[in-house]
Amino acid sequence: MYLYNEFDQTLVNERVEQFRDQTKRFLSGDLTEEQFRPLRLMNGLYIQTHAPMLRVNIPYGLLSSKQLRMFAHIAHKYDKDYGHFTTRQNIQYNWPALEQVPDILADLASVQMHAIQSSGSCIRNVTSDPLAGVCADEIEDPRPYCEIIRQWSTLHPEFSYLPRKFKIAVSGSPKDRAATQVHDIGLHVKKDANGNIGFEVLVGGGLGRTPVIGQTINSFIAEADLLSYLEAILRTYNRFGRRDNKYKARIKILVRETGLDKFKEQVEAEWASIRNGELTLSAEEIQRVKHFFTPFKYETSTDEVLEQHLENSGLFRQWFKQNTKEHKQTGYRVVFLSLKSPNRAPGDVTTEQMEQVADMADRYSFGQIRTTHDQNLAFTDVKSSDLYALWQQLQEQDLATANIGTITDMICCPGLDFCSLANASSIDIAQGITDRFTESAIDMGDISLKMSGCMNGCGHHSIGEIGILGVDKKGEQWYQLTLGGSDSHQSKLGDRLGKAIAKDSVVDAIDDIVQVYKENRTENEKFATTLKRIGLKPFKDRVYDAH
Amino acid sequence: MTLIKNKQIIDDSWHYQAAEQDLHGSHNIVDLAYWQANKSDLISEKSSLGLLVDGNEGLESFIDDLQYFSLIAINFPTFADGRGYSLAKTLREQCKYAQELRATGDILPDQALYLARVGFDVLELANEKSAQLALSKLDEFSIF
Repeated sequence: MYLYNEFDQTLVNERVEQFRDQTKRFLSGDLTEEQFRPLRLMNGLYIQTHAPMLRVNIPYGLLSSKQLRMFAHIAHKYDKDYGHFTTRQNIQYNWPALEQVPDILADLASVQMHAIQSSGSCIRNVTSDPLAGVCADEIEDPRPYCEIIRQWSTLHPEFSYLPRKFKIAVSGSPKDRAATQVHDIGLHVKKDANGNIGFEVLVGGGLGRTPVIGQTINSFIAEADLLSYLEAILRTYNRFGRRDNKYKARIKILVRETGLDKFKEQVEAEWASIRNGELTLSAEEIQRVKHFFTPFKYETSTDEVLEQHLENSGLFRQWFKQNTKEHKQTGYRVVFLSLKSPNRAPGDVTTEQMEQVADMADRYSFGQIRTTHDQNLAFTDVKSSDLYALWQQLQEQDLATANIGTITDMICCPGLDFCSLANASSIDIAQGITDRFTESAIDMGDISLKMSGCMNGCGHHSIGEIGILGVDKKGEQWYQLTLGGSDSHQSKLGDRLGKAIAKDSVVDAIDDIVQVYKENRTENEKFATTLKRIGLKPFKDRVYDAH
Repeated sequence: MTLIKNKQIIDDSWHYQAAEQDLHGSHNIVDLAYWQANKSDLISEKSSLGLLVDGNEGLESFIDDLQYFSLIAINFPTFADGRGYSLAKTLREQCKYAQELRATGDILPDQALYLARVGFDVLELANEKSAQLALSKLDEFSIF
């Protein structure tokens, strides 16, 4: 993985001291709340319902065991012994004290981590495919490019007071596991006819109040031009993006109001004047960064031990089938650690779990951990002969719930329990769904369920096959259901099922939806396929006749 | 108003035109509307002239006139409005504007380094205290 050089380390160290001074000035009254706000946000700090929330970047979802141990240390020392992994591969702490945040940032800097621009109207942490570098269908490992983007965007002087936040995701595979189509900019690694690497650039995607699928603005830009093209888009957005209404300030609205063709014209006129300038990436620079992501030294291994364990244990077999994935290297598997156990809120991890996961990573997966867009963790390089032993240890830590991809592996925001924006709770609904479906989840196959406590959509409800959106109706919590969304390589927004449903009927309504699917599915047919075949109506009839 | 240039507090030798008749002999900063209405008179005076524009001003409205300005002041209506950064960067890098580029309006000491990094060489802070703070903020990062 990438290791900081002296420049990177000095930057994060000095940033910590800068924020220490800003925090001190705020606490002494020298900075107003309005002036302090963008400064704290650009260091990851929100003011939430109960306490500040600190969001720490995990660049493109890649962590070392040492870094994860530091997360555990922070959870223990400054928080309530847990952290929450987000859909953008970051971690959030819900209970730090404002005065201690500079110390937390200093601890993070000591392991080459930071919270710079994890919030605020600036370029956020760049996200990517959690299987980058190990999946068989990859065109090229996207992580070196993510790192290049991270360095370019960090403390970018021109783009730190944008109209609104700005999110970039990069995928190196045709199968999109990074939700690139719902990002302000989505980048798909491509190769041209001569084998040269470049990117298809998507622009204007996003969730939130106005969910939009991103559109292709350029079908191939050469890798050397990556940063100048991004800079041209950002400059156009910074100049012309709306600043009169924060709900219309994202780039998706600018693209829609300007029209894609005209917007492209503006971007490419800008690009023409900066292309081949100082932002041009040299082959040497790309190679330098790529060098940090060379594949591990894999051993040759057979699946004999694995086969035997698979034969002997049904539970192990079930976990293997559900929670592991093929690796491009024979004899290795990708292992997902489910953070969707029935016993915890989705995405939450305790101090103890983080420490144990760090140890397991050292022992079984080259000391690295990935965070996923679905709020789980992954060991991407596990020898198949180690799988059984690993499974046993994961079970001890309650990280082996065999539910990856199923209805109980849901994406869920913190909701009304923590977030000051939320209209409705999501954690208790998630708990209800988990209780109801834990037994039957595997039988139902892959169903992506995503839930947000308000229309800002942090739980990505619009692209869930089943989407749940919390809404406020005269002080009561109601829930709007959508069906048929998708975050795959052909992202799609879900269709509204009907009017909002009262809180105590939500789990029953989900059950009705699942029953309609089960009654109508043909053998091995997935939920999304059945829905496409029979349409919304049977689901609608069942849910609204019953409630 | 306290000015910073080259990491030092300096006196302002320029004068912002406040009203139609409010012009000194030289070193006047006029706004875009006044410039456009009085272009030929101002050019014929051959004295040092500055232009005041808002950060959201389109470059096209004055790009052909850059040669006449010894100074361009970019106004930030609020500190959160980042358009002035892009305007400054474009003036420096694409237009190769090499004369004084001044940040004015609602700018905070904590923004001093970003302003300097996009090409502003003069910052107008609200008062002496803010200017002193901005000076220390310019030195916070040894790497920039």
